[in-house]
Amino acid sequence: MITQQNFWQHNKAVLMFALVALTMPLWFPLIGGYSGLDTKIMIFCIFVVGFDILLGFTGYLSFGHAAFFGISAYTTGIMLKNFSDNIIPAIIVAVAAATLVALIIGLLTLKRTGIYFSILTLAFAEMFDSMAMSMLQKWTGGENGLTGMPTPMLFDLKMQGDTVFYFCALMAILLYYLAKRIERSPVGLMMKAIKCNQTRLEYTGINARKYKLLAFVLSAMYAAVAGSLMVVYEPFVGHEFLGWHQSGEIVIMSVIGGVGTLVGPMLGAGFMLYFENVLSVSLGEQWLLVLGVIFMVVVIFMPGGFMEAVARLKKRFFTTIDGE
Amino acid sequence: MDMTLNAFTLSLLTGLQLGSIYVLIALGLTLIFGTLGVVNFAHGALYLIAIYLAVSINNALGFGLALILVPPILFVIGILLERGLIQRFYNRPHTDQILVTFGLAIVLQELLKWIFGANNIPFAIPSWGNGIIMLHDYLPFLEGFVVYPKWRLILVVVSIVTVAAVFALLHLTRFGLVIRAGMRDAEMLQFMGVNINRRFMIVFGLGAMIAGIAGVFGGPVTQVSPEVGMQLLVPSFLIVVIGGMGSLGGAVLAGILIGMAQSFTAPYIYINTIIIYLITVIILLVRPRGLLGAKGVFE
Repeated sequence: MITQQNFWQHNKAVLMFALVALTMPLWFPLIGGYSGLDTKIMIFCIFVVGFDILLGFTGYLSFGHAAFFGISAYTTGIMLKNFSDNIIPAIIVAVAAATLVALIIGLLTLKRTGIYFSILTLAFAEMFDSMAMSMLQKWTGGENGLTGMPTPMLFDLKMQGDTVFYFCALMAILLYYLAKRIERSPVGLMMKAIKCNQTRLEYTGINARKYKLLAFVLSAMYAAVAGSLMVVYEPFVGHEFLGWHQSGEIVIMSVIGGVGTLVGPMLGAGFMLYFENVLSVSLGEQWLLVLGVIFMVVVIFMPGGFMEAVARLKKRFFTTIDGE
Repeated sequence: MDMTLNAFTLSLLTGLQLGSIYVLIALGLTLIFGTLGVVNFAHGALYLIAIYLAVSINNALGFGLALILVPPILFVIGILLERGLIQRFYNRPHTDQILVTFGLAIVLQELLKWIFGANNIPFAIPSWGNGIIMLHDYLPFLEGFVVYPKWRLILVVVSIVTVAAVFALLHLTRFGLVIRAGMRDAEMLQFMGVNINRRFMIVFGLGAMIAGIAGVFGGPVTQVSPEVGMQLLVPSFLIVVIGGMGSLGGAVLAGILIGMAQSFTAPYIYINTIIIYLITVIILLVRPRGLLGAKGVFE
């Protein structure tokens, strides 16, 4: 039985996130953020939370999640352009399409160890990138990208400015809550067992591949929602949505923030986009170089990312004599 | 499709030439993976360093010096990277190794972009390698007038010589014997009192040096711009997977296979863009450990 007190206890993190997210338009401009960037941060929060279900829980490092982000973005664009300017059918079809692709790629890439998985996911994403530039040019617009979408509508509501932000923020809160639920569920436990010791898990008679595939497809669905919202936010899709840069960005966000903590990768996403768009003004062209160095320093000295830093500080300053 | 003997010969040569660069990159990758167990995402960036060094030295001091200097410099860079960075990751999860080499790839690529700019730098081929070769003079079965760029044939020859040298080193010397034993079972070798760490360092340097050779001769063909590293890394990874991870013979075989596949599908643009992925999928389904992959290695 979940008592009322338990409910608050269990969902403290989600409520904190909701508070931070929903008040973002108030405080974000104070630190130099501009309107629109907050929406993008919410979208990437969705992307990285999903990515953490795969990387954080099962330990499988995908270098190709841009594929699902991009496929969904293209599908959304095509749906908005040719079917209806209502975003609901567009999002549903886009996520379904990306999920199907994820299922096929997952079945192919999860056959062997994590090393194969990283290489092959990178390769398949590159495949979609080059397909978008050649055989699918007619639909994707090739080099120029997909443009000319009408203003997206949520039934009678125009998706512009703050409306888009609150829509994305609510989606992010909902999907973060869902990820938290998955983490606490028996399925989440299985996923975490894969990261711990896959061989041992299999010896207990459990089909680990089933849970790996589930984690992969779930994370692809999160990526797909993010990709779809990206088009709602800005009516343009370029092939860079599918490229390794995009996949790499997600990896960097997750690692800098703290893999496996769900909230860490979101911090990472916020930090990276803020860094890329606000702090980079003083760094100019070299912002990616600086970010790369930060990333390497984190990987070498602080593999747990920001969350590890927080934990270390807490330990240093808040440890009492009688223990933790 | 009916293909004339002329067209067939040209496709064959182009396939060999494409395969040559892939083989050189993949050889270093699979060597490093096989011995150190590290998937080196920065290998494309090592090639990038090589082509930028080669083009700078070539344009300032001539090709001869580039050829003499670049491979040893890359060898040293490889050793420094292994000592300074990679060796800290032997005892960490594979994920961390991939992450740190990926970070390194970004840093190196951005650094080179900062120094040399994002645009392609023209790489002048030395005069003795310029021009074309009259193939019909050498191959009597060809009809009429058939030519091929000289430099691309030189690239093929260099690749063959490099592969032969690596195989000779591994199969004919005592050093090679130890390395091959290390690829089988590094732990056992340590029990027998072999200083495996020093050899690991040299292997990493060797992999980087092969990328250096690839850069000196491949630079004029692949162009010299910051994107080239990643563009080559993805097919090279797939070649390592198709050939069997850690298998040198497999890398050579798969490299040529992919080169040929790309060359012979060139008239069909749609198939051409995805042929390498199609082959990978087929191999994964039919023979998951790769063409020449040893049983039980990372299965």
